[in-house]
Amino acid sequence: MIWVILRVMALGVWRDRAGLALTFALPPLVFIVFASVFSAAASGKLDVKAGIVDQAASVESGRLTTALKPQLSGRLTAYPNRAALAQALADGRVDAGVVVSGNLDSDPTPVTVLIDPGRRAAGEVLTAEVNAVAEHALPDVMMAREIGRLGPLLRLTRHQTDRLGRQPAPTPTTPFVTQQILSGGDPMVIYYAGAVSILFLMFTAMQGAMNLIDERRAGLRLRLGLSAGGVAPLILGRMLWLTALGVAQALVLFIVAVILYRIPLIESLAPWTVTAIAAAAASGGIALALAAACPTREQAQTLSTFVVLILAAVGGSMAPRFLMPAPLQALGWLTPHAWVIQAYQTLLWRRIIDAQVLEAWAVLAAFAAAGFAIAWSLESRRRL
Amino acid sequence: MAAEPPEIVLRLLDAHRRYAQSATQAAALAGVSLELAAGEIYALVGRNGAGKSTLAKAAIGALALQSGTVRVLGGDPAKDRAIAGRIGVAPQEIALYGHLTVAENLDAFATLAGVRRGRGDAVAEAMAATACTPRAHARVDQLSGGWRRRANLAAAIVHRPRLLVLDEPTEGLDSQTRMALRRLIVDLKGRGTAILLISHDADDVRTLADRVGVLEAGRLIAEGSPGDLMAQAFSGRQDLVVRLSALAGAAETTLLSLGLTPTDDGLVWSGLVVDAPALASRLDQALRRLGVTAAEMSVRQPGLDALIAWACTKVADDHALGHGAAA
Repeated sequence: MIWVILRVMALGVWRDRAGLALTFALPPLVFIVFASVFSAAASGKLDVKAGIVDQAASVESGRLTTALKPQLSGRLTAYPNRAALAQALADGRVDAGVVVSGNLDSDPTPVTVLIDPGRRAAGEVLTAEVNAVAEHALPDVMMAREIGRLGPLLRLTRHQTDRLGRQPAPTPTTPFVTQQILSGGDPMVIYYAGAVSILFLMFTAMQGAMNLIDERRAGLRLRLGLSAGGVAPLILGRMLWLTALGVAQALVLFIVAVILYRIPLIESLAPWTVTAIAAAAASGGIALALAAACPTREQAQTLSTFVVLILAAVGGSMAPRFLMPAPLQALGWLTPHAWVIQAYQTLLWRRIIDAQVLEAWAVLAAFAAAGFAIAWSLESRRRL
Repeated sequence: MAAEPPEIVLRLLDAHRRYAQSATQAAALAGVSLELAAGEIYALVGRNGAGKSTLAKAAIGALALQSGTVRVLGGDPAKDRAIAGRIGVAPQEIALYGHLTVAENLDAFATLAGVRRGRGDAVAEAMAATACTPRAHARVDQLSGGWRRRANLAAAIVHRPRLLVLDEPTEGLDSQTRMALRRLIVDLKGRGTAILLISHDADDVRTLADRVGVLEAGRLIAEGSPGDLMAQAFSGRQDLVVRLSALAGAAETTLLSLGLTPTDDGLVWSGLVVDAPALASRLDQALRRLGVTAAEMSVRQPGLDALIAWACTKVADDHALGHGAAA
């Protein structure tokens, strides 16, 4: 009986080719967008559009402008004055701007970075770029600044200062280095592969579960209610179908992630499969419970959209969880999304199956079981 | 040797049901008792909201009773899955999966009903019985209304049920399909299937039913064979319908004196009369004398609405006389 329901639902999806295409094409597309945005943001490689005004019009400021251009890959526009740059920033034509207004080797603050409060991150990225360019392309100017600053403190004579200034500039050094502790794939890509997959699993499961309501409306439920196995196989069949569909949907999305971002899926295929099954079953369970609880399709549609979006927002499918305030991060653990993301990240990025992964599987299985139990209970009691 | 009485397939005893949201309204079922034997067709008629669908759902165990019992083949269909599997239902809606073909639908419902061996034969038999075979491999959502209704009935009988509940089985069908479905229902009855028929169609009830029950406000207020009930209700009176070609004030007195009442825009007059054909002839002559032309004059058997109205009036009269409800 379970297989009959599975077959009925499978044929429903198979024969709706447009729906089938959307089911499998949309998640990878959304994933690519999210992964591109957040992967770049997390790595600090933001494609900032910048503007520059060279009020100083000195040799040094010219060198800075010239050096910034390749660094910003042609996204640097020169403006004639500060007002024009401010207007471009206000209009959104540039994300941040640089005004060079004084002598780079002697003035206390010869460079001003103009920012839009709505794009503060762009300002920070541009500041970092200007610093880096100044260090590497204008080492002599930077050295002159340091000599000018330290000379009086060290009580250097003018002769000593001039002599130091004529020395070739040393290679810039910093007291720290950054070192990546894990390698293989981009963690934000893996994050969003998990995040987008659970987001769409929920949407797909909700759509699939709606046919519980359609069946009631069409009188089918009356006929199905007379089936020899009762309600349990009817719910279980749907649950299995939603799980199978969800795993297939997640697989397509992760294959795209493998092709585009080379995430190490093959190496962790077995635990990935367990996670995909657990995630799809959890989505199916929640969707069936919601559909069973709603008397009409209209109610279910509204409620499911609300639930899917809230869970996605709180669970980290829309914005990375580490960017959220601590209370929201804690709340996220009440959603399947946070557990799915954690499981995938641990498996595919850290490449281990630890207590966190096992815990995630257990929680997802609990979501699935609870959803199934609620749906079964509500549908068994329902009198048509 | 006396013939064995037919087996009672459905037995409802003092069934009560009131919906939670209608606490202040009349109960959906207020003490209905009825029995349906194998090979019998019981037609349930009544106004909208009288409780017909509630009674049908209670009979198949899809609706819990607040008091009273329902037994199908001696068991409770709400609890005994084997009993539930002996029931077939064709709701008024087309209760089929639109994206499946007719054959796929029947195969699915046969499996769900527990048909294991000979499922292919059962499907073929149900399709042949409902003349669906030519559309076996057509998707239900691409069929016309008539074919869908046939397929709906086929799905109800594919597991060879002992009790069949049919809700408006011929609604919206052309006369040819209607006749075909009536023949099928008679055939099922001949095979010993007990059929609970809900219908608003007087011809369905008259030609198919062995017994008719009139349901009003959750009570069975009249019951009997269609012939007996009609005779009791109308005593040989028939429905005379006259359509005038134009409004004629001069004819009103004549029409009213014969017990006819105007409907719609005053052009159509109708009423239950004794010896309707003779009266129609006399009326035609009288109208001619008044210079009024009858565009159409017809004599019909009284419809179900008239029967229901009669039953309601009778119950009210009995109640006023202190006799209690007819049922």
